[in-house]
Amino acid sequence: MVMWSDKDDARCELRKRESSLVDVLKKRFAAAIAVLALAALTAQAQLVSPNAQSRPIVKTEAVQYLFPEQVRVAAGKASPVALHFRVAQGLHINSHTPKDSFLIPTTFSIPDGGGVKLDAAAYPAGTIISLAFDPKTTLSVYTGEFTIQARIVAAVGNHLMRGKLHYQACDQNQCLPPKTIDVPIDVIGK
Amino acid sequence: MRRNTVVLIAVLFILTVFAWAGWANWEYRRQESERLHADAARAELVPSATGTLQFHTPLMDKAAPAFALDDLSGKKVSLASYRGKALLINFWATWCGPCQVETPWLVELRNKYASQGFEVLGVDTEGDDLEPNDKAGWAKAETNASKFVTEMKVPYPVLLDGDSISREYGGLDDLPTSFFVDRNGKVVAAQVGLTSESDIEGNIEKALTQ
Repeated sequence: MVMWSDKDDARCELRKRESSLVDVLKKRFAAAIAVLALAALTAQAQLVSPNAQSRPIVKTEAVQYLFPEQVRVAAGKASPVALHFRVAQGLHINSHTPKDSFLIPTTFSIPDGGGVKLDAAAYPAGTIISLAFDPKTTLSVYTGEFTIQARIVAAVGNHLMRGKLHYQACDQNQCLPPKTIDVPIDVIGK
Repeated sequence: MRRNTVVLIAVLFILTVFAWAGWANWEYRRQESERLHADAARAELVPSATGTLQFHTPLMDKAAPAFALDDLSGKKVSLASYRGKALLINFWATWCGPCQVETPWLVELRNKYASQGFEVLGVDTEGDDLEPNDKAGWAKAETNASKFVTEMKVPYPVLLDGDSISREYGGLDDLPTSFFVDRNGKVVAAQVGLTSESDIEGNIEKALTQ
């Protein structure tokens, strides 16, 4: 027969208190982690939001790529693709052959390594204009819609080609910095 | 043993979360500070009383932001060294047609008013789309600027790498952009785009008399 003494009662009580204390600590630990995780998520949200809010006005690009979005070409052979662009109203960009050596020509290129190469590009002739502030000087420019006749060589398979159009735009009185825009086309080489 | 490992992992996790939250907070504050700084200085076109668009810059009646840039000969030129003179700080680029039209006017006006304590500082913003490590691109930009200055017989200092101070001057989204600074270093007028020689002369006289 086991005798239950006062000492045993005290030990039992102590263990109960210890167990209770551990439970409380575990709960507080879990709560602390939850609070930290929440704080971290809030910080992350703050980190992302300024970029979204700081530029509420999105400026229209001077030049917009129109189409095609997808082309099918014979793999390994130079194939023609007509690339259509639009210059924003009121602006002009230099043609591929501007009349002044300081002016930046419009050029199309395809970066290496994407499974699609640029074989050649034929640019339209520029429209000859003169501006009100300097009627004597003429410029060769693109306005409105224009088309570049490119010849591309694609390997077999699907490739997301990211061509580049480099241009510099002006209006009657001022110029925007030179810019390069993406010309994304899904090229299927068969 | 197992309990110790769990506690160690938990402590490490907490420390990592603390460190990450601290970094995120610091980065957020840095981005916010940059954004506020840029927005405060950003120039814009606003409608005037007559309905036309007018160039507005927050720099008006404030001290022109300080800078020190290399000129075409490699000599460092600071804005502070022109204190006491009226200045026209002209941001331009060789690829900018209106800048080509404007430059002979600036040369003529500079020569006309130089004896009264007036100077033009041409600030070339040629490399707007160049990467910092594009050595060939920067060399070409400098060559172009040098050729342009020779062809136009520009008598005033032409400074390079204007893009590095564009934010302080409101972003410089369009060229040409000019700031007229009085003898105390205060911006008294500004204009963007090609206006007229008489407009520029009026602003020079304003800078000289204030």
